[in-house]
Amino acid sequence: MRILLIEDDAALARSIAALLRTGGNAVDHVATGEDALSVVAGEPYALVILDVGLPGIDGFTVLEMLRRRGERVPVLMLTARDALDDRVRGLDLGADDYLRKPFEPEELEARVRALGRRRGGDPLPVLSVGTLTINRSTGDADIAGRILDLRRRERTVLEALATRAGRVVPRELLIGEVFGFDEPVGGNAIEVHVTRLRGKLAPDGPGIRTVRGVGYMLDAG
Amino acid sequence: MPAESRTPALRTRLLVAVLGPLLAAAILIGVVGATLIADVVRRTNDRVLGGALGAIAETVQVERGEVTLDLPAAAFGMLENTERDNVYYRVAVGADLLTGYADLPAPDPATLDIDVPRYRFARYRDQQIRIAEVRRALPRIDQPVIVQIAETLDNRGALTRRLMVALLIGECVLVGAAALLIRPALGWSLRPLARLRGAVEARDGRARPDFSPLDTGPLPSELRPLAGAFDRLLAQLDTATVGVRRFTADASHQMRTPLSVLKVQVALARRGSDTERREALDEIADAVVRLERLVTQLLALARAEEAGVSAPLEAVDLREVAAAVITRQINRAIEAGIDLTLEGDERAVCVVAGHRTLIFEIIANLIDNAIRYNRSGGSVMVTIETAASGVSVSVVDDGPGIAPTHRITAFDRFVRLGDGNGPEGSGLGLAIVRSAATRLGATVAFGDPAVGTVVVLHFPQVTA
Repeated sequence: MRILLIEDDAALARSIAALLRTGGNAVDHVATGEDALSVVAGEPYALVILDVGLPGIDGFTVLEMLRRRGERVPVLMLTARDALDDRVRGLDLGADDYLRKPFEPEELEARVRALGRRRGGDPLPVLSVGTLTINRSTGDADIAGRILDLRRRERTVLEALATRAGRVVPRELLIGEVFGFDEPVGGNAIEVHVTRLRGKLAPDGPGIRTVRGVGYMLDAG
Repeated sequence: MPAESRTPALRTRLLVAVLGPLLAAAILIGVVGATLIADVVRRTNDRVLGGALGAIAETVQVERGEVTLDLPAAAFGMLENTERDNVYYRVAVGADLLTGYADLPAPDPATLDIDVPRYRFARYRDQQIRIAEVRRALPRIDQPVIVQIAETLDNRGALTRRLMVALLIGECVLVGAAALLIRPALGWSLRPLARLRGAVEARDGRARPDFSPLDTGPLPSELRPLAGAFDRLLAQLDTATVGVRRFTADASHQMRTPLSVLKVQVALARRGSDTERREALDEIADAVVRLERLVTQLLALARAEEAGVSAPLEAVDLREVAAAVITRQINRAIEAGIDLTLEGDERAVCVVAGHRTLIFEIIANLIDNAIRYNRSGGSVMVTIETAASGVSVSVVDDGPGIAPTHRITAFDRFVRLGDGNGPEGSGLGLAIVRSAATRLGATVAFGDPAVGTVVVLHFPQVTA
């Protein structure tokens, strides 16, 4: 999924981005609250990771402004501070989760996955569409016991389609969710992944329809 | 503890301070009292003796050319007392005894005024006696008529003794009561002190030290300054501990970001490919350097805030210190492509009173900042100037500079300027500089250049 990381420390931002990318996520990074507010509106982020201690506008203020604008994107706050007040304040301002530095990388990944699931409206880690089963915690997918060998991007595309099985997913939305804004996106980038996925799902899995000029749809059931 | 044994207890002090003078006063009162008593006893008894003398003298008359008298019984009745004093009398005309005790010591008539009684002590029959005597002039009698009456002193002595005993008893009661009351009075007076101690002791053993003012209730005026001084000390401690607590909190927060980097990169190294592992190792190495620098600077800051409290000031040559710092940092500057130079008149006196370690730390941090937040091809110029107002060390760079709005907070701990994309610092350098400068009585301030940054460290006094 597509994640916006707001962190002023360059080394930590690089590390978190690298960690989350290994999980198949597209990560965009900005260093200030001002930048965050300007990019968050235009992109379909599935999650925002927000550091509290930002120079200029601090994390709390960024969160407050996001929520006031009506942004419903899940927000995971990162902080170096211990105080209970801070955690309460963050959650009360509309944060969905809270993680204290230094965190365990596995915990960050797990929380990111949990928040991503909640975004789809389905908190179950295992997602089933007909014979297709996707374990969103491990990223494994199988069709009636046949393990699918998926690449990172393919897994992201499949998950994005499966959470909305039976509905058309617009192409732009799919691109937005799969690619970060600093990644080169070719004209048929999504088409390539979808074609490969079709091959891997066939013959016993659900099919992926192309709705010309609109997007793609995974057959439900 | 020797101090304790040499300092007498309050009780002893008070005993010495109160009972000494009281005893002296009692002795003085005793002496004065004894004189007064003797005087009063003599006067009252003399008056009675005089009364008896008058009664006898009045009856002395001249009848048909002869001196006669009629001794009144009342006169002797006046002199009767419980001590059964002996009473003697003598009436004589010239040398001729008219009546009474012939051997009672006679006065020289010439020394007596007519009809004015005179009193004197004398010895008679191996006893002290008091004699009252008067000379009368009778018509047609040429010889002086002397009337004398005397008594022994037993009654006077007994009276004096009784009064003296009463006085002594009174004095003893006074001194004794004072001695006995000192202990309970002291206990009562010191009760507020005990309350003060209780209030202090109540602070013991609390999980978190409580530095709020003592709750002692109303205190006597003598103890209020003590309680006030104690409260001020508490307030000072409070400020100090709050400072330390904030510092440790800040320091631990500051460590958390590089620690997070370490944890994430270790996780990435564990699961990634060889290339990814090498990248992760580079990040880990950077994070370790950052942590190391942070720890070093925290120690430097702790030293700067601690130093100079007791150590005597020494003469420090600023030019020599600046040269030493530059020698230490020149390789870094060359690596970063920065021209690092020392300017100023080499013969000028630039010795100040301070601590070399602290001054070294200040200049090192200023130069380090100037190199770190500069660009390749830039320059850092260290200038030492001596003027009447003191000696200044300026560190001038032509880097991106610090916005005037940021200059106010730049000296605070852990404040890092910029947008986070710049070089990684600990946010402690300028805090160290300010703390050390304050210790040395020096000031440190930003200049307002058109390009880059100017920081001036100023020592107000010059020592030759």
